[in-house]
Amino acid sequence: MADPIDCREARERLQDYLKQELTPTLAVEVRIHLERCRSCFSHSRFEERFLAMLEERARRETCPGEVRERILRALRAEAERG
Amino acid sequence: MATAPGTFDQEALPHLDALYRVALRLTGDPARAEDLVQDTMLKAYRSWRQYRPGTNAKGWLLTILRNTFINDYRRRKLEPVAMDLEAVEPYALPRDAAEADPEGDFFARIVDEKVLEAIDALPTDFREVLVLSDMEGMSYAEIAEALQVPIGTVKSRLFRARRQLQASLYAHAVEMGYIRPRPARADG
Repeated sequence: MADPIDCREARERLQDYLKQELTPTLAVEVRIHLERCRSCFSHSRFEERFLAMLEERARRETCPGEVRERILRALRAEAERG
Repeated sequence: MATAPGTFDQEALPHLDALYRVALRLTGDPARAEDLVQDTMLKAYRSWRQYRPGTNAKGWLLTILRNTFINDYRRRKLEPVAMDLEAVEPYALPRDAAEADPEGDFFARIVDEKVLEAIDALPTDFREVLVLSDMEGMSYAEIAEALQVPIGTVKSRLFRARRQLQASLYAHAVEMGYIRPRPARADG
C-alpha cells in the first residue's frame, strides 16, 4: 500500500494526532507515514516531548492554601445568605 | 467546606487548582487571578442547579471563568484589537532545532518559570487555547464550545500557539546553552 500522505501533511496533522483529535481514517494515515518515515517519526517525538512537558508543568502549579481558604470562606458566606 | 446544594463540594472544589492556573495565565497577575477564581466559584455556586451532575464539571467551570475574564477582567486597551490571528503565518519550527535536538530533549531542561513566562508572552487568543488544551486537557470540541468559535479556529490557533511557544523556548534554550546550534555548513 502506498504511503497515503506526504511529510508536509503528516507534520501538519502530527499535533492533532498526538492529542487524539483526528478521525480514525486520518489517524491511520499518519501512523502509516510515521512507520515509514524516520525523519517524521523523530519529529513526532519532538512534538510528544513538547506536549508532555506542558502537561507536567501544569500539574506542578497549585492554588495556594490561603487563596483556597479565602474562596471557601466566600462560598460559605454565600451559602448562609441563601 | 461550604454547604452547597447537590454535590458542589465534590464536583466543583476539586477543580480549584485548574481554575487558579488558568486564571493566572489569563490575567498574568496573582491578585487578579484570585479574584477571578472567587468570582467564578460564586457564579458557579449560584447557577449550580443548571449543572447536570456527571457531565464535565471542569469544562463548565473553565467556561464560566473564561467568560468572566472576557467580560470583567480583560484589559481591552492593552490587547491588539485589530490583529487578525488567523492570518498570522505559523512559525516554522526552527530548522536547526530539528538538526541540533531532533527529539526535543531541551524542553525538559527549561525551568518552570521560563516556560510560564513564554506562555504568558503569547497573544491572549493563542494563550487561552494552549492553556485549556495542552495544560488542562480540554478537548478541541469543549474549547470550541467554551469560546464560541468553530473547531477549525481552535485547531489553527493551537497550531500557531504551539509553534510560537516552541520557537520561543528554543531561542531560550540556545541562549542558555542547553542547545548548541550547528554551525552553518559550507555547502549552505
